[in-house]
Parts: sequence; C-alpha cells; structure tokens
Amino acid sequence: MRKALALVFVLLFAAGCGNGGTGGDSNEQATVFAAASLTEVFPEIDPDATYNFAGSDDLATQITEGAPADVLAAASPKYPDQLYEDGLVDKPEVFATNKLVLIVPKDNTANIQSVDDLRNEDVKLVIGAEGVPIGDYTRTVLENMRASDVLDQVVSEEDDVKGVVGKVSLGEADAGFVYVTDVKPVKDKVTTIELPEEAQAVVQYEIAVVKDAPHHDAAHEFVEQVLGEDGQAKLQAAGFGPP
Amino acid sequence: MRRPFEVVLAVSTGLILAFLLLPILALFLRIPPEDLLSQLTSEVAVDALIVSVKTSVIAHAVVLLLGTPTAYLVATRRFRGRSLVLTLIELPLVLPPAVAGIALFAAFGRAGLLGDTLDAAGISIPFTQTAVVMAIIFVSSPFYIRLGIAAFEGLDPALMDASRTLGAGPRRTFFRVALPLAAGGLSAASALAFARGLGEFGATIMFAGSLQGVTQTLPLAIYAQLDIDFDIALALGAFLVVVSVAVLLTVKLLPSWTRFTLISLAPSGRSD
Repeated sequence: MRKALALVFVLLFAAGCGNGGTGGDSNEQATVFAAASLTEVFPEIDPDATYNFAGSDDLATQITEGAPADVLAAASPKYPDQLYEDGLVDKPEVFATNKLVLIVPKDNTANIQSVDDLRNEDVKLVIGAEGVPIGDYTRTVLENMRASDVLDQVVSEEDDVKGVVGKVSLGEADAGFVYVTDVKPVKDKVTTIELPEEAQAVVQYEIAVVKDAPHHDAAHEFVEQVLGEDGQAKLQAAGFGPP
Repeated sequence: MRRPFEVVLAVSTGLILAFLLLPILALFLRIPPEDLLSQLTSEVAVDALIVSVKTSVIAHAVVLLLGTPTAYLVATRRFRGRSLVLTLIELPLVLPPAVAGIALFAAFGRAGLLGDTLDAAGISIPFTQTAVVMAIIFVSSPFYIRLGIAAFEGLDPALMDASRTLGAGPRRTFFRVALPLAAGGLSAASALAFARGLGEFGATIMFAGSLQGVTQTLPLAIYAQLDIDFDIALALGAFLVVVSVAVLLTVKLLPSWTRFTLISLAPSGRSD
C-alpha cells in the first residue's frame, strides 16, 4: 500500500513537472489569482498571463491550501494582509480603488429609484455573502446610510460579485449592490443608481507576489505592469479609481 | 512469483483505490472527531440540514409518485417514439448542472418562457424553496426513472402474463405483481436518486440562490463556509460522506432483503 501511495505521488509530481516544463521556457507566464471584479480589465493589461478569477476570499483559501499562484490581486486589503502576516505573500500594495453602486434590471419592474425603494415589500435584493468583500462593503454602505433594514429583502447571498451581476442582469432579481466597474459589460441590461459619496465604503484593491511563486520573475513583472502608467490608465478607463 | 499480469491488475486497483479513498479519509483526519461533531451543531450547519432534508424529502416524494408510473410505462409498453422518450429521460443525467441551472431560469424564471404565465398567477419561483425542490427533481428524477425502468424490465414476463391470464387487470397487475417484485430494484433506484438530489449543487446555486435557512442546502453551505469557517465546511462534508455510505449500504442490503422476504414467502404460496 505504501508503495502504491508513493507511486501516486510520483505520478502527481511528474504531472506537476510537466506543467512547469511547458510554462518554464523563455516566455514564462505568471498565474494570476484575481478578484472577480477584475475579470475584464486584467486581460487588457496583460493578455498572456493565466488568470483565475473568483471571490477574493476563495482565492485566499486556494493559496492557503497551496494553489500554485504567482500573484494575488484582491478586492480588499483583508485577505492579502492576512496572507502577508501568515508569510504566504510579499508585502501587498494598493493598486486601485472602487466604489459601490446599486443596479436594477433595465425594465425595472419593481420601480426602484433609490436605496429607500428597496424597503418595498416583494423587492428581491441580491447581495454578496458576508466575508466576501462585496458583501462586507454592501453592509458597510447600508450601515452608513442607516438602511440596514433593507437586508430583510435579500433573497440570495452570492459568493462573488459576478453572481450578483448575473442575477440582476438576467432580470431575476430586482436589485443588487455591485462595484461600479462591474456595470460596463452588462450596461445594456441594467440601470445604475449612484450611491451618496459620503456613504461609500473604502474599497481598496491590493496586489502581492506569492512567496513560493512558481514563476517568480513573471510575477514581479506583472505587478510592475499593473502599478505602471499603462496599467493604471487601463484600470481608470475601466472605471477604477487611483490608489 | 505471481505472473506480471496479476501484478498489473493488483497495482492498478491499489492505485485507484488509494486515490479515491485518500481524500475522503483526509476529510475525517483534518480536524478531531469531537470538533467535527460540535461544528455540526452550529447554526449554519443546522439550518442547511433542515433546508436539505425538507427540500429533498418533498422532491423525492414527487420523483417516486411520478417516476414510478413513468418507469413502468416505458419498461412494459412498446409504442412509437419510445426510444425518444428514453433518450429525453436520460438527457438530464449527462447535462452539466450549470446548464440545468440556466435552463430552469430560461423556463421558470421571471424573464423565462413561462415567466409571464406564472407571474399572472402570482407565482414567483426563483430564490424560493420551490426552486430548490425543482432543481433537485430535475437532476434526480432521471436517475430514479432510468434505474426503475431497468428494475421493471428485469421482471419475468411470464409472471406478468400469468397475472393477466388469471384475470387481473393492468392496475391489479401493476400493484400486486410488478410493484412488489420490482421493490428491491426500485428501492435501490430510490436511494441512489435521493443521494443525487441531496448532493445537488450547480442548478440550485443558480436557480434558487443561496440564503441561509431558506435555500442554502448542505452542499451550498459547504461552498459558502469554505472561506468563512473551513471547519464547518469540513464537518458538513464529513457528514455527507456518512450519509452517502448509508445510502450505498441501503442499496446493497435492500435487494437482498426483499429477495429474502420473497423467497421466504414463496414456498408457503406454492406448497398449497
């Protein structure tokens, strides 16, 4: 049995090497674990990198569990800072900011014009789950607006921001809180309702190179690209705020 | 010295067994058993358990009630388009769960095919427990029907003919002959379909969303807790493994049990 187990590991190891081999030649690419809200803009900055887009919390868990990531770009300082403390990533840097908006389907059958209208009975509100950055920011914004009671209208707590965008743009939910940068790809299907500036949460995006990055050099290059002039211009064209 | 071929067989089996069992074993070894148990009594876990049991039981009742006659019809009647019906029943079996999710939206969602009709009737399905039940039925009923057809087809046609020639109508033949004889196979089909429904994830998270105490089933709770409290996710995972083992044991034991009762009943019937 022990021999058999050993063989499994050898096989897995060999498979791992195979992967490393193909990525390890002269044009080696970084594997970037990035927040779902960066899905559109990151491939514009570097089309050649390998991306894994998901909720920042999921990405952090994956890296903690040993996923072979080179770069972590999260929609909140919470997870990069935590991984930095655990010694899993280098010191994170803020590379962009974002703000929240309320979106409703174009036909807006529930007739929602403001956050106050969310209190109406029968409104189906979809938000991010607690612990997911968009979910935590949504709760902060509602608290700032003294409107936490609209949480009673929540019909689903999504695991990342794309889940919220999808259910509202499908017209199945009446409203959802998302980042302003998520609206662009679905602007034909949803209407954006701005939130008061003073109620906004501080949404900071942090990027860090993973300590055991398999493609260490490519990882640093990627981070420099994002922090550089061209990267920043593309981020701001996509609606992100400067760091 | 064994022959090389025997060694190849043994090594292949050993490798695949190790690969399949190691992750399941690891689930139980990662945190102490008493912690696993205490995590299961957490609010999230209990809420998910209640939602899962409620929706699975309702869905399963529907599957048994509609699936059994369907399986019987397809197994015993020859009609035009029968193989088409069979293929349609099998389709959801091979469909990716995410496809099932958007398909349910496309049919029963507010913007879906029946959206206006349902809306006019004051019915809204997405994000409700009804949506969870529908997602479960969509993925588990083909399982039950397919295995149910096999169970009915496995019956000795002579027995069915005998029932008919002895004057029993089709209804009597179904309830008194086919159903009792196929009970073992149907129970196994039922247990496997129930397990499939209990594990439903993809269609549910899309069509019903995820809200604790309302639509968050056990698999959805595992996903949601993955990043918040990994121990709860582990505990729920371990719990579902135990349920799965119980289902498998049921499947293995039920047919032999029913066969046993049938055999033990048979002599008293024949000796007269």
